[in-house]
Amino acid sequence: MTTAYPLPSNLSPATVANTASLLRIVALALISGAAIASRLFAVINFESIIHEFDPWFNYRATRVLASQGFYEFWNWFDPTAWYPLGRVVGGTVYPGLMATSGVIYNFLHALNLPVDIRNVCVLLAPGFSALTAWATYMFTKEMKDESAGLLAAAFIGIVPGYISRSVAGSYDNEAIAIFLLMFTFYCWIKALKQGSALFGTIAAIFYFYMVAAWGGYVFITNMIPLHALVLILMGRFSSRLYVGYSSWYAIGTLASMQVPFVGFQPVKTSEHMGALAVFGLLQIVAFGQLVRSHVSSAQFQKLLYASVVATGILGTAVFGLLTYKGWIAPWTGRFYSLWDTGYAKKYIPIIASVSEHQPTAWPSFFMDLQFLIFLFPAGVILCFRELRDEHIFVIIYAVMASYFAGVMVRLMLTLTPVVCVASAVALSTLLDTYIDPKEPDTGDDTKSESEATVVSASGTNGSSFSATPTPTPSKKIKKAAAAAAAPLPTSGIISDLVAATGGPTRRGEPIKTKGIFGMDSRLIVIMHTLAMLSFFVFHCTWVTSNAYSSPSVVLASTNQDGSQHIIDDFREAYYWLRQNTPEDAVVMSWWDYGYQIAGMADRPTLVDNNTWNNTHIATVGKAMSSTEENAYPILRKHDVDYVLVIFGGLIGYSGDDINKFLWMVRIAQGVWPDEIQEPNYFTPQGEYRIDDMASQTMKNSLMYKMSYYRFAELFGGNQAMDRVRQQQVPKVGPTLDYLDEAFTSENWIVRIYQVKKEDLLGRDLKSANAFGQGKKRKRTKPVPRRRAIV
Amino acid sequence: MPIWSSLPFFLLLSVVSTLASSPSFENTAVVRTVELGGAVVHVTTTYAIKALEDGSNVYTIAFSPDERKKTSWLEAKIKGQQNALPIEERLFDAERDYHFVDITLPKALSANKTTNLVVETILTHATHPWPETAGQKDDQALKYTTDLFVLSPYSTTVQRTKLRTLAPRIISFTEPKGVEDFATEGSASKSGATIVYGPFHNLPPSATQKFIKTYQQPMTIHYFHDQPVLEILELKRAVEISHWGANVNTEDEITMHNAGPALKGHFSRLDHQTQQFYKKPAPHVLPAINLHLPAGIRDTYFYDLIGNVSTSRLRVAPSLPKNKQGSQYSLLELRPRYPLLGGWNYTFTLGWNAPAADSISYDKSTGRYIVEVPIMTLFPGAVINDAEVKVILPEGATDVEFSPPFPALENRISTHITYLDTSGRPALTFEYKDLTLKHAQNIYVSYKVSFAAHLKKPFAVATAFFSVFGFALIARRVNLTIHPKKKAL
Repeated sequence: MTTAYPLPSNLSPATVANTASLLRIVALALISGAAIASRLFAVINFESIIHEFDPWFNYRATRVLASQGFYEFWNWFDPTAWYPLGRVVGGTVYPGLMATSGVIYNFLHALNLPVDIRNVCVLLAPGFSALTAWATYMFTKEMKDESAGLLAAAFIGIVPGYISRSVAGSYDNEAIAIFLLMFTFYCWIKALKQGSALFGTIAAIFYFYMVAAWGGYVFITNMIPLHALVLILMGRFSSRLYVGYSSWYAIGTLASMQVPFVGFQPVKTSEHMGALAVFGLLQIVAFGQLVRSHVSSAQFQKLLYASVVATGILGTAVFGLLTYKGWIAPWTGRFYSLWDTGYAKKYIPIIASVSEHQPTAWPSFFMDLQFLIFLFPAGVILCFRELRDEHIFVIIYAVMASYFAGVMVRLMLTLTPVVCVASAVALSTLLDTYIDPKEPDTGDDTKSESEATVVSASGTNGSSFSATPTPTPSKKIKKAAAAAAAPLPTSGIISDLVAATGGPTRRGEPIKTKGIFGMDSRLIVIMHTLAMLSFFVFHCTWVTSNAYSSPSVVLASTNQDGSQHIIDDFREAYYWLRQNTPEDAVVMSWWDYGYQIAGMADRPTLVDNNTWNNTHIATVGKAMSSTEENAYPILRKHDVDYVLVIFGGLIGYSGDDINKFLWMVRIAQGVWPDEIQEPNYFTPQGEYRIDDMASQTMKNSLMYKMSYYRFAELFGGNQAMDRVRQQQVPKVGPTLDYLDEAFTSENWIVRIYQVKKEDLLGRDLKSANAFGQGKKRKRTKPVPRRRAIV
Repeated sequence: MPIWSSLPFFLLLSVVSTLASSPSFENTAVVRTVELGGAVVHVTTTYAIKALEDGSNVYTIAFSPDERKKTSWLEAKIKGQQNALPIEERLFDAERDYHFVDITLPKALSANKTTNLVVETILTHATHPWPETAGQKDDQALKYTTDLFVLSPYSTTVQRTKLRTLAPRIISFTEPKGVEDFATEGSASKSGATIVYGPFHNLPPSATQKFIKTYQQPMTIHYFHDQPVLEILELKRAVEISHWGANVNTEDEITMHNAGPALKGHFSRLDHQTQQFYKKPAPHVLPAINLHLPAGIRDTYFYDLIGNVSTSRLRVAPSLPKNKQGSQYSLLELRPRYPLLGGWNYTFTLGWNAPAADSISYDKSTGRYIVEVPIMTLFPGAVINDAEVKVILPEGATDVEFSPPFPALENRISTHITYLDTSGRPALTFEYKDLTLKHAQNIYVSYKVSFAAHLKKPFAVATAFFSVFGFALIARRVNLTIHPKKKAL
């Protein structure tokens, strides 16, 4: 046999196996370290702080859990949210995340490690990303081999599509959910491969954990049944499938119903019906198999025909009836918006107003996945090449996740793991091919040589680039081949490699001219691949540090000397609220800031990011978009003491309330179409302006007034400029009669107004204010009597 | 004569001297100087005393009960000397309008000998803002009320009271009434930032019910004050000593309150920024405060309930060797998240690490460590209403002894458990009230730590790791499979 480069021949198989195993462990440890480290940009650039909006609620809930115990958390009724309605937190939350942190917190404290609960929460996502890398390794190992697994683990560890949701401080459900997703899938594949009830049960337990942790569990609920269904339709029904699916479904569903927020949904809503139907189908098919083994095939054909038609009709009828009767809830709006991207904008503006519910823009695919997005299809095609049961799973996963990722930015997250897996399979196949030292023989091909090739290639799997041939197939290969136990006659890895290395093809005729000759062609491809990989690392680092590591609670700008300047207006204002207002002062703001106010200012809010009550949000929207006179009764009826607005006009912070204002108008219009009309807020030319040209409705709206109150005075007579909208603000600013400016943060980002109490003399506040300023009331001329008589 | 045998005698003497008609001293002159501040008022009273009898060495001074209540610091010295004289409080008598404090002179005076006694007191919570609310652009004015006469159980030849304010802007002050018996000309005069009451001549012993009823009267001065009135409502200091890290960590949890006039109306950022732009800050607004932290500190942190506060600046002075004299300190310009206006609160945590060598010394002869722990960081012009100082000694510290510079209201020993502890660390807690600049002193704590106690921590960590590895070692070799798979396949 000729090789492209010399190989050591004096190594025992045990040494090779042990070295490979050690190298794998070291590589996995390094990958975990890289995954954690790359998520710490936010902590190093800023501080150990909870990010954005939803994590603040999770953090607050975790604090309750950690300080008062699980039962208190379970029964927690939060009277300060959705004032005056309150919120049953224990029953309306996925508790998995909080419970995880609580367990870690209590465990560390039991070991006399008094870690702050905040740090547990902040570092939870990076910690779980290391676990995700491991779970992806295990999953990909089932698809191809260990080397692909390591590549996949490295990819998922640093790919921005996943980092975007799991940087330190991004304490959200997704932080642990992706690990659970991957591990559940791994257990499912294992259960399917081995027909193991044990792995089915483990899959069910992790499925339960996933249900307790993230609303996205529905993805698993539909992915696994879909996989099972496709297998049945492909005629690949087996007792392994039956055991795996049944144990997963039965235990998983019962377990998932223990989560109060989920309750009876698994048997009542349409989203979960697929899993139930496939479960039923499996029973029928299994019964069918049983019958087939007892009756003759001709009879069986007839029986099958009749029963399939009968069950189909019956099942559909029952499903339709149950839906009609209301036993099974019809599809929800969020679900429709998955199929029709325009649906939400038309019917549920509140969903459409969230930026992460927008359809994904093409550049963001590249931004989040870089070169993986090109390797991804190649990996999927490689799955077709062999098409074992688990490959079908990856194919289905790839198709479904690609579609969903295109519909919603947020679902990019579910696409990322399969992209990593598929790309790793593709890339590792490429590397296997080109690192393999075997030179294509111009002479005769023998079986033993092709086998030697296999072994040498499999040696590369573990020990990345040091190929080590062994005279006989090592035990590991045997085991792997045994474990694979695929329905195809050839063992997975061997056939894969044989196909990939371009050796003797299965079709018989060895094509001698195909193959890689010499070191140069090998080196070119390998170097190029390594360059791609290192660019990928640079890209990931760059994206992570620049795009995904901003806490958004704290903003950063650069001083003239290049040092970092922290803009901390949010916390300044929230802390002022916390320290200097009565504890029961109700704060009204747009719902985006509800969780932050509750978490940082510790004050009751009217609406928050748990957007369950559209009317309540619309009420706030109405108050913000009405005139002062109309808004005042709304504010008083809701006991509002302070109104908080975000205004970026001074320093150019574009995510402010004026830019979100149209959504408030739209949402309010959805409930009160007679009182609030979106067109009134535009100029006659249809522009959205805030300068002199702005429409009267716009200028009189509470939001506009609160944003620009005394803003022009800041410029001391010069023309005031709104830096976000690049428009000149009218010199004479709005006046407020029903509100008082209570606090404005340093860069004017947060402005807080106090709602005045009713005038003690019973006047309306406008005339009381005018009186206080010494203005004479304009006397309306008495109607001339004579004319009246005439 | 040993002092313990003479003590009862002198006590008896002093009781006699005040109750009996023949006092052992007379005051040739009493001058009281009141430095008016915001939260803290500094009073220095100089007694020029003349002994009337031989062997008189216990001099008694008197306060009104109200003054005594506000006094957080009391120190008596012979003029020109450094050492403070021993002080003993008499039992408080609710019936009387005066309260006695005995001062033991360093040596007994013989008849007609004179000496000058300086009594320094610091009053807290003695002023109050008037008007009680002020707008953001308004001035800040305070009122201070004191008694006209310095009380004394002895007769006094001349007595004066000087009130001095920081800014020469005094709005009003009370004119004494019915003091013609003692004053020859005008009994009150004002010049610049000083108001003088007196001189009053030939006062009888004034610490009597009769005198107080007849002549004593409250004097109120209303003045502008240009600095914010700062109160620390609560200070919780935890000082943790680590021998392994050669580190002393100090952490202060502070609740700050602007006790000046409460803000009238609302805060306007525009007005605030205008004032800052023209460099005319309102006197009752506290945008920042300069603190002196120890030299050589590192890892200083300043955060509050919702995270880091990044607005402050710190200049660290290099570490100062233990036995070298020097007044070097690190300067922290502490800037709260928002300017502190009248009546506003701000809570925060401030902490730092310092090298252990700067504050811990080891006595080889006794095998004891001695550590000095500052009770507080000095907040200029502020009063600390409640303070709790917790000194956390290393794990395994025994034979703990401590000597506070002045007695604490309460002290206790508890156990504190933190990182990698197995049995916990002894912690001393001292509680104080109304601390001012004079109280910024050190508590000295000494303890022993055995070598075995030092090794406790690495041993515990090693045990933990070994047990994890041991478990892994065993767990990998245990086969729990119910049906062991056939080897060959």
